[in-house]
Amino acid sequence: MQQALTRKLESFEPLSEQARWALNGLTLKVRQVGARQDLIQEGDKPDNVLLILDGFACRYKMLPDGQRQIMALLVPGDFCDLNVFILDEMDHSIGTISTCQVVDIPRRAIDEITAHHTSIARAFWWCSLVDGAVLREWLVNMGGRAPGQRIAHLLCELLMRLEAVGRVTDNSYAFPMTQTEIAETMGLSDVHVNRTLRELRALGLIHLKGRVLTILDVERLKAFCSFAPNYLHLRNTRWGERRDLSWPGTAEA
Amino acid sequence: MFEQGNVETLIVLQPIAVDTDSPDREGRLVIANGLLVAVLVRLAEPEHDNVGSWFFEVGFGRLQGKKAPTFLSLEDATRWLRRHLKPA
Repeated sequence: MQQALTRKLESFEPLSEQARWALNGLTLKVRQVGARQDLIQEGDKPDNVLLILDGFACRYKMLPDGQRQIMALLVPGDFCDLNVFILDEMDHSIGTISTCQVVDIPRRAIDEITAHHTSIARAFWWCSLVDGAVLREWLVNMGGRAPGQRIAHLLCELLMRLEAVGRVTDNSYAFPMTQTEIAETMGLSDVHVNRTLRELRALGLIHLKGRVLTILDVERLKAFCSFAPNYLHLRNTRWGERRDLSWPGTAEA
Repeated sequence: MFEQGNVETLIVLQPIAVDTDSPDREGRLVIANGLLVAVLVRLAEPEHDNVGSWFFEVGFGRLQGKKAPTFLSLEDATRWLRRHLKPA
């Protein structure tokens, strides 16, 4: 479970023994948080960087009429804003969806580890940039895709992201979201989510039972929603080719 | 547009079959003072949470993009529609 972070970062670039050891030092104090609990609320002053080691969490905002919009899903290995402590206060809330294993990392520890390990600093940058890329893709998804393609796209994305941290077996993964939570994520009504999931099942693309999602035909599901994984920038996985990305003038730590 | 003085908006619910690409077919056109303002659909697909209740499928004009709960009866739906058709 501790390895979720290392696995995620290594899908970007290989880490030395020392770097891996230093990363393990960040994740010593793990706490369990129940499902549907806030980890931090809009308006709070962020002190620590939160890291999800197990379970699903999300970023969300509440609208004045009580409606909730989920803007991001956080899965094992994901930071809830690496540099959030630079800002004065949270402009959105972060809450768990399922029971989560969470680590609170003091900002000092982040400063120290990045100062001592350039590979980790670079991998952390990569995390932040990919978070931005995912958000952009979600904008495209919400604004440009029909409900069926929109949900299929999310399911493809989760397959890639969870596989990068070793949470996928035979194209199946734990999928704890309720229909309401999918609706809040996709800007759809519960009823439309229900109809759409039914359609995806009827097409033989997915199977969803007991909070486990199985993608029955990955290639067909990807074709169905024109999924292009480029925005995830996963390079050391079966989805991406490893490219050399050495920065001139940087010493490997 | 809908409320003029004390005259209440006349709401007519006209039965219609709706293609929702699901077993949810039975619908009502909601006509307020002669204008189509919404379509309601009865939830029939057994996996819905509130099978048998009425879903605000789509709204027009002032009701466009509104999120509504599902309604146990057409009376409940009409009450909600009437409230949301009033000028802000």
